[in-house]
Amino acid sequence: MLTGRSIVSVVDDDESVRESLPDLLWELGFAAHAFSSAEEFLASDYVDKTRCLVLDIAMPGMTGPDLQRELKLRRKEIPIVFITAHRDETVRPRVLEQGAVECLFKPFSERALVEALNAALRVS
Amino acid sequence: MADVSHEDSVDNAVGTATATQSPSTQALSRVEPAQSETSLFSGESVLNILKLIFAGAPLPDVLTIIARLVEAEGKGMFCTIWLLDEDGSYVRCATAPSLPGFTANWDRTPVGPTGACCGTAVYRREPVYVTDVLSDPLWDGYRHLVLPYGIRAVWAQPLLSSEGKVLGTFSILYREARGPSTADLQMIENASHIVGIALERHMKEKELRRSEAFLAEGQRLSRTGSFSWRVATGEITWSEELYRIFEFDRDVPVTLELIGSRVHPEDIPLLNDMIDRARDNGSDFEYEHRLQMSNHSVKYLHMVGHGRRDGDGRLVYIGAAQDVTERRLSEETLGRVRSELAHVARVTSLGALTASIAHEVSQPLSGIITNACTCLRMLAADPPNVDGARETARRTIRDGDRASEVITRLRALFSKKEGTIESVDLNEATREVIALSLSELQRNRVILRTELASDLPVVTGDRVQLQQVILNLLRNASEALSAVDDRPRKLLISTERDEGDRVRLTVQDAGIGFDPQAAERLFEAFYTTKNEGMGMGLSISRSIIERHHGRLWAAANDGPGAMFSFSIPRGPEGVTGARSLGNIRTPAAEDSGRAMGDPC
Repeated sequence: MLTGRSIVSVVDDDESVRESLPDLLWELGFAAHAFSSAEEFLASDYVDKTRCLVLDIAMPGMTGPDLQRELKLRRKEIPIVFITAHRDETVRPRVLEQGAVECLFKPFSERALVEALNAALRVS
Repeated sequence: MADVSHEDSVDNAVGTATATQSPSTQALSRVEPAQSETSLFSGESVLNILKLIFAGAPLPDVLTIIARLVEAEGKGMFCTIWLLDEDGSYVRCATAPSLPGFTANWDRTPVGPTGACCGTAVYRREPVYVTDVLSDPLWDGYRHLVLPYGIRAVWAQPLLSSEGKVLGTFSILYREARGPSTADLQMIENASHIVGIALERHMKEKELRRSEAFLAEGQRLSRTGSFSWRVATGEITWSEELYRIFEFDRDVPVTLELIGSRVHPEDIPLLNDMIDRARDNGSDFEYEHRLQMSNHSVKYLHMVGHGRRDGDGRLVYIGAAQDVTERRLSEETLGRVRSELAHVARVTSLGALTASIAHEVSQPLSGIITNACTCLRMLAADPPNVDGARETARRTIRDGDRASEVITRLRALFSKKEGTIESVDLNEATREVIALSLSELQRNRVILRTELASDLPVVTGDRVQLQQVILNLLRNASEALSAVDDRPRKLLISTERDEGDRVRLTVQDAGIGFDPQAAERLFEAFYTTKNEGMGMGLSISRSIIERHHGRLWAAANDGPGAMFSFSIPRGPEGVTGARSLGNIRTPAAEDSGRAMGDPC
């Protein structure tokens, strides 16, 4: 019954994001799963199932860009949409250059999120 | 040093004294033995020689004249005068006026037990009378020097200084073998005495010239000149170095007008202020001002003057002026770098603070928006997912609370530094602030005057915060003055007792002033009349003064400029607890909670 939904994984150390974003993603028609760290995501079987990764940049331990590099090393080509509360303008071009689909600054609008996800799914 | 050496002066002058006489010698030619009856020992001759000596006639000339006077005393008598080298190992013939070529052939004799008459007399420190040089062994090796002149007898008398130091010899030579008579001995004794006076005088002058040369060298090395100034007559005396610093000709008489012509036009008020104050009360002064040289280069001068009264009660200043251009220029560079650094530090810390606030607030805001969007979608579904919507609304509220906690934490952070309540001597606190700002004030060419009431009671309050207020008022005044070029940049800080057991501090400047209608707006945050600056200073200053239960206000001067004053109660009951003192409003804390537009 849920086979039509694309799986979107959310990796963020902020609990309110892990709580709220999957619900919105579900309302938007995706199947979502949240992880509190990059390490937790890598250890799960979602690495192979995920169609799109919504990834926080600054996290304790492995950061978002660290995970991006790690996935590249493992040849897992999951499209990534970065989200960050640090409005550092130099970060965005850096992660986009590394192949990310989009980088959204928190708080982001629903429309910006949908557009980024659509772009990511087109890539995959 | 420019001083010629002992030997040179003697040798040169001996040559010239016999051939061409120097002007001073000619002027005093009446000392010369015109007639043989003129006795060396006549009061008039001695007096004239002494006059010659004290008029500063060249030593070789004086010695030659004395030698001639002595020679005039007796027929067939020759006179030579020998001077000891500075290292004491040789005597040199300074004059032998009637023995042509003598000094050229016999320039020196070593001091020792067998050094003819002159070298031996110095060695023995006693007279040596040789009745016949042909037979006396003291003359072995020297006879050929005197025989061509037919000299047979030589008597040498050591010349002693008043301290008993041997300076040379006074020698009498004869063409016949003979010893001295009692009259000869008396004559030699008297002549030696006069020569001794001439030598001592010469040495003292040399010593003085040497010490003056040392002083001049010291002044040149340290670029410091000295001066004296008789205030009543306007008579000014400068040392050579001061002429060099001002680049004036040594012959030009120094006047205040002349000095004024070199002082940088912008610093003329500073000079006038200094002169007025010196004339008024004769107090010591210390100033730094600039000179503008004829090639338009600028020099910085540090000047100190000490006023004292002479015997007749007239005011005389003695002072020193140092050229501190190099130091000042490097200080200015340093100051510029420092203020740029401070600015960068302020901007970066503000930037870092903003980023941190933005991050802290963005996180819950992000949750609020996501939840609200989800909520709307759940309610819009058919059928509406009311339970889900309720849950997302609950999360929205929770994130809203979180954002407000961030604001509370920020407020706490800003008021973290608690005020310290203590007894504060406002005069002392003011002096400290002035000391801190002195180089900045001097750079702005501000003439600072203080009128701190000596009977000012101590107040109770936070010393550091009150000093921040004073510093802020002082800086504002200094900046308001920096645009002023047509009048002295005067700044007055005064303290006084105020009505109702209060203490008042006033900072008054002759700067650009402010629009009277804007007097109250001055204290609003972000209001500024300056190109640089955030407009925070006066707003924060007023908060601090209000925490001290005082008042801070601005008023326009009668003349140009503005006056800022605060008045605070001195008693401890006037101030609330330390907690409330520390809780100064900061605009950053107030403005950080502004809502954002709906991004959905």
